[in-house]
Amino acid sequence: MRWGMVIDVRKCVGCQTCTIACHEENALPPGIFWRHVVDVEVGDYPDVRRAFLPMGCQHCAEPPCVPVCPTGASQQRQDGIVFVQYDMCIGCGYCAVACPYRARHMIHEQDWYFSTPTPSEEKAREPERHGVMSKCTFCKHRVDKAPAGATPGVDPEYTPVCVSSCIANAMHFGDLDDPNSNVSKLREAHQPGVLLEELNLKPSLFYITE
Amino acid sequence: MTPTSGTRKVPTYCYQCVAGPDLLNVVVEDGVAVKVEPNFGVTEHPAGGRPCVRAYSLVQKLYNPNRVKGPMKRTNPRKGKDEDPGWQPISWDEALDTLADKLRPIREGGFVDGHGYPRLAVTFGAGGTAPAYLGGFPAFLSAWGGPLDQGIGSGQGMKCVHSEHLYGEFWHRAFTVAPDMPNTTYVLSFGNNGDVSGGVIGVWRHAEARGRGARWIQFEPHMSVTAATAARWVPIKPKTDPAVLFAILHGVLHEHDWRRVCDVDYLGRMTNAPYLVGPNGYYLREASSRKPLVWDEKRGAAVPFDTPDVETYALDGEFTVDGVEVGADEEVITHAGAVARPSFTVLREHVRPYTPEWAAHISDVPAETIREVTREYLEHARVGATIDVEGVTLPLRPVAILLGKSVNNGWGGFECCWARTVLAAMVGALEVPGGILGTTVRLNRPSSNRMESVRPGPDGFMAQPLNPTSKDKWQARPTSRSAHKTLVPLVSDGSWSGALSPAQLPWLFMNDTPPKWPEPTPPEVWLVGRSNPAISCWDSDLIISKLRQFPFVCAFAYTQDETNWFADLVLPDATDLEAYQLFRVGATKYIESFWDHQGVALRQPVADSPFDTRDLTDVGTELARRLGILERYNDALNRGVALGVPLKGPGYDVSLDPAVPHTSEEIWDRACRAATLSLSQGREEHDLAWFREHGVYLIPFSRINWYLHPEMTKKGLRYELPYQEQLKRIGQELKNRLHEQDIRFWDTQLEEYAALPPWKDFPEIWIDVARRYGKKPEDYPLWLLTSRSMQYSWGSQVSLPLLADVAQHVRGHFGLMLNNKMAALHGIADGDEIWVESPIGRQQGVAMLRAGVRPDVVVAIGQFAHWATPVAEDIHMPNLNALEPIDLSLIDSTGSGSDLIRVKVYRANGKS
Repeated sequence: MRWGMVIDVRKCVGCQTCTIACHEENALPPGIFWRHVVDVEVGDYPDVRRAFLPMGCQHCAEPPCVPVCPTGASQQRQDGIVFVQYDMCIGCGYCAVACPYRARHMIHEQDWYFSTPTPSEEKAREPERHGVMSKCTFCKHRVDKAPAGATPGVDPEYTPVCVSSCIANAMHFGDLDDPNSNVSKLREAHQPGVLLEELNLKPSLFYITE
Repeated sequence: MTPTSGTRKVPTYCYQCVAGPDLLNVVVEDGVAVKVEPNFGVTEHPAGGRPCVRAYSLVQKLYNPNRVKGPMKRTNPRKGKDEDPGWQPISWDEALDTLADKLRPIREGGFVDGHGYPRLAVTFGAGGTAPAYLGGFPAFLSAWGGPLDQGIGSGQGMKCVHSEHLYGEFWHRAFTVAPDMPNTTYVLSFGNNGDVSGGVIGVWRHAEARGRGARWIQFEPHMSVTAATAARWVPIKPKTDPAVLFAILHGVLHEHDWRRVCDVDYLGRMTNAPYLVGPNGYYLREASSRKPLVWDEKRGAAVPFDTPDVETYALDGEFTVDGVEVGADEEVITHAGAVARPSFTVLREHVRPYTPEWAAHISDVPAETIREVTREYLEHARVGATIDVEGVTLPLRPVAILLGKSVNNGWGGFECCWARTVLAAMVGALEVPGGILGTTVRLNRPSSNRMESVRPGPDGFMAQPLNPTSKDKWQARPTSRSAHKTLVPLVSDGSWSGALSPAQLPWLFMNDTPPKWPEPTPPEVWLVGRSNPAISCWDSDLIISKLRQFPFVCAFAYTQDETNWFADLVLPDATDLEAYQLFRVGATKYIESFWDHQGVALRQPVADSPFDTRDLTDVGTELARRLGILERYNDALNRGVALGVPLKGPGYDVSLDPAVPHTSEEIWDRACRAATLSLSQGREEHDLAWFREHGVYLIPFSRINWYLHPEMTKKGLRYELPYQEQLKRIGQELKNRLHEQDIRFWDTQLEEYAALPPWKDFPEIWIDVARRYGKKPEDYPLWLLTSRSMQYSWGSQVSLPLLADVAQHVRGHFGLMLNNKMAALHGIADGDEIWVESPIGRQQGVAMLRAGVRPDVVVAIGQFAHWATPVAEDIHMPNLNALEPIDLSLIDSTGSGSDLIRVKVYRANGKS
C-alpha cells in the first residue's frame, strides 16, 4: 500500500478552501500553511496563462528529508506517509533544506491570531509542535481512523481534509498500489505528471494538466 | 444550554454569500467550537455538502476578541471621523428601552416627516444575504405599521448585477441568470467571475463541465480566476461589452443565414419577433381588440398574435396593414394602410451597422475573434436538438452568455442584458436545457416559486408589477428617499424594491437636492446592520459627511466599523453560529443554486456565546412588546413573515398565541414543524430538537422546474423579446410626468428607454468625469476596476486575520494590480508604494505587476481602506469607493452605477 494523490489542475480555481481547511483541521498557527495553492502566471500580455497548483508535501517514495535528519525524527511509514516525530525533533532544519518542494515548516514558538488565544485556539493547541519542524501528514490521524470497510479517499471522514473539502472535486486520494483504486484509475486515464521529476524522488502527488 | 463535555458535530449553514446556503458541521469539543467541516451527510447537495473558504472562518468569527461584546451607548455627542464615540456599556434593558423610546414617538406622531419621507429607515446588507441572518426581525418591521425607508444605500446597484436583476426578472423571471451548467457546452462570459462568485455549486459544476470538455470564453479586462480557468481569455476594453455583443448579434443576423442558424419556430411562437411594428415604433394592433398583429404567411394577412392556427409567422418583410398604435398615455394613432414590419426585421436593421470590424475598433477585440465565437456559439446551440427531462421532451440548446458585475450594472448594463437575452432567444436557448436560466425572483411573487410567478399579462407576455407611469396613478411625490416608485417603473413596489432602488440618490440628494424635488431629510431613526456603507458605498467622504447628520443611529454591530462609528446605540450582533433561523435550501435560488431537492436548513447556536449577544429574533420580540405591537408581530410570524412558511396552512396549524411573547426557540420550533408539515403535505412533522440534530430536511424537486419553458408553453405566453415596446412607452410616460412637474435631472436616464437599444459611447461617460470635476481627461488614462474576492465578501470577515492569512496566496489580493510593461514605462516596480488617483481623490497601495492585466487597467480586489474596523484597519489596501463620486451622470435609469473610474497611478515617492 502506498497512499497518494491525483490532482486535476484543470479543475482547481485557487480558492484556498483546501488551504484553510488544512489549517483548521491541523490547528496551525498564523502564517504556517502545510499546503496552499500556488497562483502562478506566465507569458506576456496578451498571451498569458494563469494556473493554480495545489502544493504541499509530495510524500516522496525516496524522501530526501528523511535521511538527512540527525535524530531520526523525520520518518516514513510503510504506507508512504512522511511525517515528523515531534518529540525526537531538535528543529535543526536540515530536512527543510533538503526538501526541494519547500514543504516543511518550522513552528518557532507559540503564536495566536490575536494578542491572546481564542477559546478555539486554546482548545486545539498542540504544544508539542513548538520549536520543531512540521509538515503535511496526509492527515494520517484521519486516514488511520478508518474502520474496516471504510476506504480513505472514498469515505470523506477518513480522507485528507484538503481532498474532502475541495469544492472543485479537483483532488483525489487513494492507494497508488491498488490498481482498482480511484487514484490508479485516474493515473491510467490521464497519465498525470509529477513535480521536479528529474530529481527522481518518486513523489506521491500526481498532477493532471491536460 | 449546550453540552460542555465530549465532541459533537453541530449541523448548520453558512449564507455569507447568496449562492448558498452552504451546509456544514461545526465540531464542538467540550463546549468549544474548534473547526468547520463539510456536511457530507447531505448527499443531495450538488457539491456534496461542501462550503467554501469563508465558512472555515466562522469559528474565528465567533470568538473574535474584537467583537462588540455587549450593548453600548455613545457618550460623545459630536460625530466625526476624528471624534471618538466614547462608548459606554449598558444593559440590554437600557438599550432596548432607549431604542423603543426613539421609535414610539414615530408610531404615535406619524410615520412620515414633513417632506413625506419615512421617519424610520432600515439598511440591512448585503447582497441579499441579510434575510438569512435577521431571524424573526422582519416580522417586527412588518408589524411596525407604517412606511419605512429601505432605500438608503450601502452599495447596492453598484456592487451587484443590477441590470440583470431588473431586466432579467422582467424578461424571464431571472433576478439572477445562470447557465444550465450540467448541460451547457459553450459559455461566452463577459466579466462573469463565476469561479469566484458562483458559490460552491458554481465552482463544482464549472469544474465538472471543463472535465467533460465544455468551452468557456472569458471577455474581461484582466485575467481573473475565471479567465484563468477558461479555454480562452479575451482582454476587452472596459465598458465596451455591448459593442461586442451587438456585433455577435450582427453576425448571427447578417453574416449567417438566419433562417438556418436561428430557432425560427421558437422566435415565432415564444417571442415578439413576429409582432408587427408601426411607423411610430409601437406595435401595430387590431383596432377593435388592441391586440398586436402578426403576419400569417399562409393567410397572407395580419391577424392578432394569439390567433390559434397560424402555421408560419412572418419574421421578415414589410406589410401594408390597417390598425392602430397605442403610444404613451393611451395615445391612439390610427393607420389605414400603414407599412409595418415584424420586430425581427426591425431588429435586423437595427444591428446592421454593428459589424465585427466596428466593434473591434471600439473594444480591442479582433473582428476575427468575434466571428469565431459567433460561429462557435451557433454550432454549439444545436438548433433542433431535444433532450428528455423526466419524461418530457424539451429543446436542448447548450449555449449561454453570462455577464459580470460592472458589465451588468450602470450605463451599458441594459444594452448588455438585452443583447445577451436576445442572443439566447435567437437560438431558442432561453429557459431550456443547456441555455440560460433565471434562478430566482424577488420583484415578483411568490419568491419561493418562479413557476407560480408566471401569470398572463398584456399582449401575450408575462405580467410584471410595474410602478405606474400614467397621469392618474404615477407617484409624483416620492415616498422613499431613493424615489423608487417615482423614478423606476421596473423596480415595482414589493418588499425588495426599496433596496433595489436608486440607493445612491438619498446620499446625493441629502447633499444637493435638485430643483422641484422634496429635500430628503435624514431619517429620525436609522437601523443599520450587516452593512458598512461608509466603506461599501461610493463617495466615502460624502457618506461620512451625511452620517454625521443622522440624529439617531442604532447599529447591530459585529465589531466597531466605519459606519457604526457614527451610531448612538450599538447592539452586539449574534453571529452565524449564535442564533436560530430556518432557511429555505435547494429548488432554484440565486446564481447557480439549483438542486434536484428542496427543503429547509437550520442555523443554530453551536456553543455558548462568548459575549453578551442576543438572538435577533428575541430582539424583535422585545421591541414589539415594548412598543405595544406584540399581537401584530405574532400575527406577522403566524403569516410566515421572516419564517419562510406560514404557521397555519392546509392541514396543519402550529400558530403562536398572538397575545404573549415567545422565545426564539419557541418561534423557530413552530417554523420547523410548519415547514416539514408543509413540505411533506402533512406526512411528517419535525421540531426544533430534530433539526438541531439533523440540520436539514429535503424533498425531491423536479428538474423540469429549472426551466421556464414548459410553464410558458402551458400558459401560452411569450417572452417580451427582442422588441421593447412597453419600455419605450413607459419611458415616454415617465418623461411626460417628470416634465409636467418641471423635473429635468432625470432626462439622461430617460433616454435609456428604447425599443431597441443603440450603441452609445459608454467609455466616454467615465472619461468625462474628469471634465466635470475641472480636470483634464488625459491626466487619468487608466481604468480602475474591482474584482471579487472569494475570501472576503458580505460576511463581516474583514476583521478576521485568518482570512487575510489565507488570501495572501491569491495573486494580487492585497495590492493594486498593474500590467507589468505599462508599469515599467512609468518606473513602477513590483512592490512599490503607489498612489492611485481619480478626479475626486487618491488612495495608496502596493503595486503588484502582472502580465494578465490590460495596459490601460488597474485592478483592486474587494473593498478595503478601513480606518475603524479592527484588523482591517491594518490591511494596506485602497478602495475604489473612495475614488468614485456619487454623480447623476454615472447613474442609469434603473438607479445603478458601474463599479469603475478613470485614474492615474504614480509612485508614492515620485511626482504625479
